[in-house]
Amino acid sequence: MSLKAKLNRMRGHLAIETPKAADLPAANIPHLERWRELDAAPHGSADDYVIIRERRYPLDYQHGSYRFRELADIIRAWEEAGRSSHPLSAVGRRAGDLLFFDTETTGLHGGVGNTIFLLGYSRVEGQEVVVRQHFLAAPHAEAVLYQSFLEKAREATHLVTFNGKSFDWPQVKTRHTLLRDLVPGLPAFGHFDLLHPARRLWKRELPSCRLSVIEQTKLGVARQDDVPGYLAPIQYFDYLSAGDPHLIEGVLRHNETDVLSLITLYIHLSSLLLEREGEAATEAERLEIARWCEAIGELEHAAKGYQTVAESSSALRGHAKLALGRLYKKQRKWRQALAVWESYMQENSHVPQEIYIEAAKLCEHQLKDDEKALAYTLKAFDLWKKRGTILRRKSQAEREAFEKRIVRLENRMKMLAKKDCQF
Amino acid sequence: MKMKKKLALTDILEQFRQDERFRDNIVHWTTIPPREARCVPFPADLDQRICDTLSRRGITSLYTHQASAYEKVQAGRHIVAVTPTASGKSMCYHLPVLQRLSEDPQARALYLFPTKALAQDQKSELHELIGETGLAIKLETYDGDTPANIRQSIRKAGNIVITNPDMLHSAILPHHTKWVSFFEHLAFIVIDELHTYRGVFGSHVANVIRRLKRICAFYGSRPQFICTSATIANPKELAQQLTEERVELIDNNGAPSGTKHFLFYNPPVVNRQLNIRRSATLEARDIAASFLTNNIQTILFARSRVRVEILLKYLQELIRSKLGPKTIQGYRGGYLPTQRRAIERGLRQGEILGVVSTNALELGVDIGQLQACVMTGYPGSVASTWQQAGRAGRRQGESAVVLVGGSTPLDQYVISHPEYFFDRSPETARINPDNLVILVDHIKCAAYELPFSEGDRFGRAEITEILEFLTEEQILHHSRGKWFWMNDSFPAHNVSLRSASQENVVIIDISERGNERVIGEMDRFSSLTLLHEEAIYLHQGVQYQVERLDYDEKKAYVREVQVNYYTDANLAVSLKVLDEQEARRLWQTECGWGEVSVHAMATIFKKIRFETHENIGSGPIHLPEEELHTNAAWISFPESLLAAIGREDVERGLIGLAHVLQHVAPLFVMCDPQDLHVVAQRKAVHSGQPTIFLYDRYPGGIGLSDQVYKEMETILDQAEGVLYSCPCSSGCPSCIGGAEEGGKTLALSLLRVARGGSAHVS
Repeated sequence: MSLKAKLNRMRGHLAIETPKAADLPAANIPHLERWRELDAAPHGSADDYVIIRERRYPLDYQHGSYRFRELADIIRAWEEAGRSSHPLSAVGRRAGDLLFFDTETTGLHGGVGNTIFLLGYSRVEGQEVVVRQHFLAAPHAEAVLYQSFLEKAREATHLVTFNGKSFDWPQVKTRHTLLRDLVPGLPAFGHFDLLHPARRLWKRELPSCRLSVIEQTKLGVARQDDVPGYLAPIQYFDYLSAGDPHLIEGVLRHNETDVLSLITLYIHLSSLLLEREGEAATEAERLEIARWCEAIGELEHAAKGYQTVAESSSALRGHAKLALGRLYKKQRKWRQALAVWESYMQENSHVPQEIYIEAAKLCEHQLKDDEKALAYTLKAFDLWKKRGTILRRKSQAEREAFEKRIVRLENRMKMLAKKDCQF
Repeated sequence: MKMKKKLALTDILEQFRQDERFRDNIVHWTTIPPREARCVPFPADLDQRICDTLSRRGITSLYTHQASAYEKVQAGRHIVAVTPTASGKSMCYHLPVLQRLSEDPQARALYLFPTKALAQDQKSELHELIGETGLAIKLETYDGDTPANIRQSIRKAGNIVITNPDMLHSAILPHHTKWVSFFEHLAFIVIDELHTYRGVFGSHVANVIRRLKRICAFYGSRPQFICTSATIANPKELAQQLTEERVELIDNNGAPSGTKHFLFYNPPVVNRQLNIRRSATLEARDIAASFLTNNIQTILFARSRVRVEILLKYLQELIRSKLGPKTIQGYRGGYLPTQRRAIERGLRQGEILGVVSTNALELGVDIGQLQACVMTGYPGSVASTWQQAGRAGRRQGESAVVLVGGSTPLDQYVISHPEYFFDRSPETARINPDNLVILVDHIKCAAYELPFSEGDRFGRAEITEILEFLTEEQILHHSRGKWFWMNDSFPAHNVSLRSASQENVVIIDISERGNERVIGEMDRFSSLTLLHEEAIYLHQGVQYQVERLDYDEKKAYVREVQVNYYTDANLAVSLKVLDEQEARRLWQTECGWGEVSVHAMATIFKKIRFETHENIGSGPIHLPEEELHTNAAWISFPESLLAAIGREDVERGLIGLAHVLQHVAPLFVMCDPQDLHVVAQRKAVHSGQPTIFLYDRYPGGIGLSDQVYKEMETILDQAEGVLYSCPCSSGCPSCIGGAEEGGKTLALSLLRVARGGSAHVS
């Protein structure tokens, strides 16, 4: 291998001075004035440069329903709640650790040739939120794109994205692999992907869980003259052929709103999860949050959530009771489980057959209450027989299971009755 | 009923010699003597674990070709090993690959097989071998059936990855960043069945290999190629064209073989005046039946899907009473994969006694070794014939191959000139990786995978102009000496390596309401003549009639029927010269070569009765016209001929001569006879002269007509030979295609004009 090639391979490990933006001979950069109007400036060398656009917002700035200042508050709230096991937990983090990150690409699929032309993020720096966008002004400067990004994003430890776990970050890795001899390695960021929490909470309610829909319905963010994301590739191709910065302005603004909304969304989701004062989660959200807690093993939080909904007047309280009953059973809190189910039975004319069976099992095996067990079994059997008529399909095995249980319970009760007589 | 005693193969052959039903029609009988094995001891450096494994299998030495392959690969050379069927060819690559992996557990190898079926075969074979050696080698297939959850571990840790060119093209190369450690450590690329990579498919694959080598270079590896091929004239040249490396040829086959009887059988003449012979299909049926009824495992090859089904139907009826219906099966492209796997297994395990196949079974699909092979008609090339013949033959014991001549000029030529077949070296496989249509497709894919830099070549191809063209089309973007992919599409998904495979027509059986099912598929071009409405479609010996062909949705709805005929469709072809690029005079005629446009349309179909093969009806076909831009070679006769011998006669002469050329020309350019078509025009649009065109049946051409143009003289000489040696008096199906009064003389006088003589009809 020639020395030059070797040097190039090692380049990421060598300290090579990259000229500061100010050092660039301005005359060589086309449309410099127009970039300035967009708060953007070149970065790199005159041959290989990218455009970095930087926008600063005070912490008191309100984007949608929250002020950026509340990010620090919410991190404190995580600390106070001591909820370090939750996937969105910020325990141990500082506001500046979080990099609210989004990319724009030339296509939608995940192949090698899908180029990322914009790396955008927002982050708390001191008393401001800084939005920084690294824009690939010409495809040959891709190495500078990643060098500059890694340099500026060095202080962050966690990515916060919307679908970034399966799209943006793998694509960054793909493109980075192509440049791996020229660019330092990617850090092992922690990662909060907000798409999955959003889906958990709102997929039943919203027509789609796209960020723009969530902004409108949940975050109070109103976009004006927004360029839809799917047009980004075409606008970038247009920019490349004409070179006019204004052709890409719409994409830059769209991405800026995206990375700012990620802050708002993170605050909002955390507030719902932590049940912060003044943050009234709907009963539907509460129920989904409780289910989420149960799924990740935060059983106490789950139980509390189910209870709140179960005791409310919400139409979902039945669902909450069923879920709570199952959770109590899982926790071996037999009496509580039975109590919740029984309260469900009182309230609802239609009771799922499984609930009677569960209740019967619980009474027979745990609470040793054969009488109740028999009553619930008979109710379940009734339901089964009715359903069977409707479906015209009766499984012999199921019938036998019912009959066996009934006979067993009846026999035991007769024996007990005899014993009572004898004494 | 008294059971007839089953005869052994030698007894049946003796019967052929005695029985006048067969005796007089056997025009040639070659006995290929048995061959002793030529073996050498295991190489000294071969890993002990591998030696022990082979010894446990009873193998104590290597065949000479296996040893040479091992040595050359160890010495760092690229190789191509040429061996007949069943000679242990896979050891030519397994041994050096396993040896390297025993030394370097990091190393990787990529195995390419032309089909998934072959890949599956090899996987199970190699899996066993590796298991027995105890080496920690991870072996996986990576194809469309590989579950998503194990793909990642294959990419990260698979030592040997078995796949096919299509998968490499559309799933591996466009995602090469997920295969970093695989490409960094890639030591070997194994290309099995090299001879199948010819024509359009081969030209595509050559470009996929260019892309593969580009990616390897990017990750700093320089893998060695290990290829194996069936016998063709130019294995080394083909390997070098495909890999663009210097390749060493290994052809010192050391595998033993038993005695093989090779019979040429010409069906008896039933109409002496018209030189009409009994149908090859019926004769082949009878010959196959005499093997099958004696429990001799037999393969019967037919040249078209329809023939396969007709023969299958005949044989199943014939044999049903004696053997039960399951023991004879059909095998061809339209069957579903699971069905094919079951047939292969049945053949290996001996549960299936006979199989009727198209050339689909020419490939190295493992069906074990059968005892007899019957070919219905000459397969079209010397190489194919040997491949098919190789299906019969065991390492010990005798085997028989019977070639039954059809009525085409080529068949009749071969059958009456056995020396042509036995002395001739097999055909040359041609590819044209620089076909512009194909090349541009792959440059797009390659640019998607890695940007091009100024001065880059793509393999040997000079590509700056193509890159500039794609930049103007706004598919690439040129920026500081590099070309970047700049489009929102995924180019590999728009390029199919097998020209028509993306456009297959699905065949749906609607015989049973509520239980409609897909029974097969067919490429779009074939569907014009095989799946038009009212066509009789045969599948596994069952007849179906096509009720509706939805050409836009690519679906054919068929219903089971029982009729005593099959259908045969006509394709009308018109051709126009767009640009004459080369021309030269040949006595009074002119030869040309250039770009043409061809329009093809299915017009009518005929209903043909089984057994008698008489025409019992016909109907129109309403399907859209297909258009093709390609290259053609042509020969134009002087306009003055029209006045000299009359318009009608010139036309008859042209049609007759075209028929001969359609069969002779493919000999000199190889490829499937289907790849090169012939059209005659009394008054060509571009010149007004009587002309015969020979064109490549693929957009942009794949180099066949170029070759025809170069060898026009030889081809015309051969055509003359065919006409003179045909015993008919004035033309027959075996030469000019029909028995028109004076047709043969007219074709010959046209040839004389081209060879410097006069047109005068003596």
